[in-house]
Amino acid sequence: MNNEDRFKSVLSTILLVEEAEILESTSSESLDTWDSLNHISLLGALEQEFGVTINTDHIENTRSVAALRTLLSENGVSF
Amino acid sequence: MQAPEAQSQLTHAEANKLLDLVGANPTLINIATAYRRLSALTAAVPHTTIRFAALSTFTLDPMTPSLQLAALGARIELHPWIAPFGQLAPTLIDANSPVTPFAPDVVLIAARLADVVPNLYDGPQSNNTDGLMATVSDYLDQLDASITTYRDRSSATLLLQNFERPSYIVSAISEFEAAGGQLHAWRYANSRLRSLAEKIGNCHVMDYDALVARHGSRHWIDPRTELYGRIPIAAGHYFDYAKFIVRHLRPIAGRSKKLIVLDADNTLWGGILGDDGLDGIQLGHDFPGNAYLRFQRRLLALHQRGILLCIASKNEPGSVEHAVASHPEMILRPEHFTSMHVSWSAKPDAIRHIAETLNLGLDSFVFIDDSAVECAMMRDSLPDVMTVLLPDDPARFADVIESLDCFDQFTLSDEDRRRGVMYKAEADRRQLATTAVDLPTFYRSLQMRLTIGVNDKRHAGRAAQMTQRTNQFNMNTIRCVEDDIQAWIRAPDVDVFSLGLTDQFGDSGIVGLAVVRKSDDNWHLHMLLMSCRVLGRTIESTFVAWIANRARTAGVPNLGATFVSTPKNQPFADFYHKCAFESGPAESQSRQWVLDLDSADTRIPDWFTIEALESASR
Repeated sequence: MNNEDRFKSVLSTILLVEEAEILESTSSESLDTWDSLNHISLLGALEQEFGVTINTDHIENTRSVAALRTLLSENGVSF
Repeated sequence: MQAPEAQSQLTHAEANKLLDLVGANPTLINIATAYRRLSALTAAVPHTTIRFAALSTFTLDPMTPSLQLAALGARIELHPWIAPFGQLAPTLIDANSPVTPFAPDVVLIAARLADVVPNLYDGPQSNNTDGLMATVSDYLDQLDASITTYRDRSSATLLLQNFERPSYIVSAISEFEAAGGQLHAWRYANSRLRSLAEKIGNCHVMDYDALVARHGSRHWIDPRTELYGRIPIAAGHYFDYAKFIVRHLRPIAGRSKKLIVLDADNTLWGGILGDDGLDGIQLGHDFPGNAYLRFQRRLLALHQRGILLCIASKNEPGSVEHAVASHPEMILRPEHFTSMHVSWSAKPDAIRHIAETLNLGLDSFVFIDDSAVECAMMRDSLPDVMTVLLPDDPARFADVIESLDCFDQFTLSDEDRRRGVMYKAEADRRQLATTAVDLPTFYRSLQMRLTIGVNDKRHAGRAAQMTQRTNQFNMNTIRCVEDDIQAWIRAPDVDVFSLGLTDQFGDSGIVGLAVVRKSDDNWHLHMLLMSCRVLGRTIESTFVAWIANRARTAGVPNLGATFVSTPKNQPFADFYHKCAFESGPAESQSRQWVLDLDSADTRIPDWFTIEALESASR
């Protein structure tokens, strides 16, 4: 799996949606299952999957697919 | 929760592989994926259902999939209910709280003192250490009152998580001398918790402190999720925490393992007995022999807790037996093994044979071998058996035993400590059965003596334990705690009969239990169960005949019973029919039976001596 597939797979598994339903614009606003607790699980799962460490100041401003992608890119994950 | 992909039907062997994968790499994704795939399996393989309520001072919700997955690994289907955040005490105290209609079998009470008395962990905020002790004491008082209140409403098993040792000690090196310091207060809190559990009954302390220590508190806690989301446990340890909880659920669900089958070469000792000879195998006080000694000592400790040990080794028949008996450094000796199977035949055959001989279910077996091939064969042929492949390095063998958290019982009885001896006698009895001429002759040769305790309080602990453990010969699989049995013993309209057995091979201890509800025109068997290791010797039917005689003497016209079918108690299904009971009304899972005492033949076979021990007072 390439990084794009891994990224989508984590989102799909934690947020309980089909990968095809995950768009760049998908966010906690548009998805019921993307609640606060699942958001923390999502960050934890991404840390485990990509071996990165996410600082707490990024918890609040990463509640969308686009923002998460940017965060991972800043941590050296290339898509 | 609905899985996004269609659930495929897994085989049992595939499920085991999935669980191994998660065990080796318990990431959140692996856990979530495995849980979804495995939950489809509960229909195909029998599971025990537990309704599990979790009350905590921190956020437990993200650990739910881990808990359910770890439970499935122990063949437990967990129905979780998690109390709203911060509602630990109100949930316990308020009779109208949602935990009441949920009606849990087990309630986890996970309070972290770090959440409620932060000064204990961050350091006292003044030099007044009496203040710290007073705060801790007040909290324990509150917890005590909440749990005591809840106990009046619920007979659920309560699991109390103890408190982790503070890792940051303000006064540092002088702490050990400080009478009222953080460590002092922490020890006091844990000892209060232990007394509380003893007072409440059917309440057990879980040593969470030891769990954190084993993994290291710096790794265990993730301060980011702790501070942001009140999730103190690091995501990498969710599964460790889940397994820790499940280890306490196994004895409640009757899912604790009972027997270990061990390979010999490169398992009990280093090297190959057939190649290296008795003098050449590695076993002794220097490396690598000392690694095997340590491994054997851990196995012996399990044996002394009542876990049975057997050997299945591919070797010349007689050679392994000789090594076990005569190698000067062996810790495990012939008397510690229930049986040894040394031959060139396949190991699954040996395990099937052991299971039949001892009347134990394959799901109570653990198989340990250093060979990946043998382990793979066992997994494929007998997926019910828990198969453990030893690591390459013998220095890590002992750790394998430490990680096997599947043998637990909450209390150890004398029967547990003597079980190895009792089962060995049982294996010897079966041996005799193969040489005896006919069954009555065999039964007579056993010189069986039944001792029936009538409302004997001293047997209540063992009786309760039997209800927890007995799955096969169990009329309706009602699980009880000691307090239930004691209450029946005190009740004038209930009789509790505890059946003890001795024979020419030894004392088997208490092996059977019957609870009878009495009225003037009917006695009704409320519970009837018997340890499967003594089945097949007419003890079970004789026990019923003895109870029937007693009912007739009391002037009652009939003896009734209600059979309730479970996935495991099929051995019981036609028992009452064999005892000449008339079949009565049946529902999907249950059937009424009745024995007409006017006409019933309730003679006791001549191969039994029976003695009833009537209790003078209740």
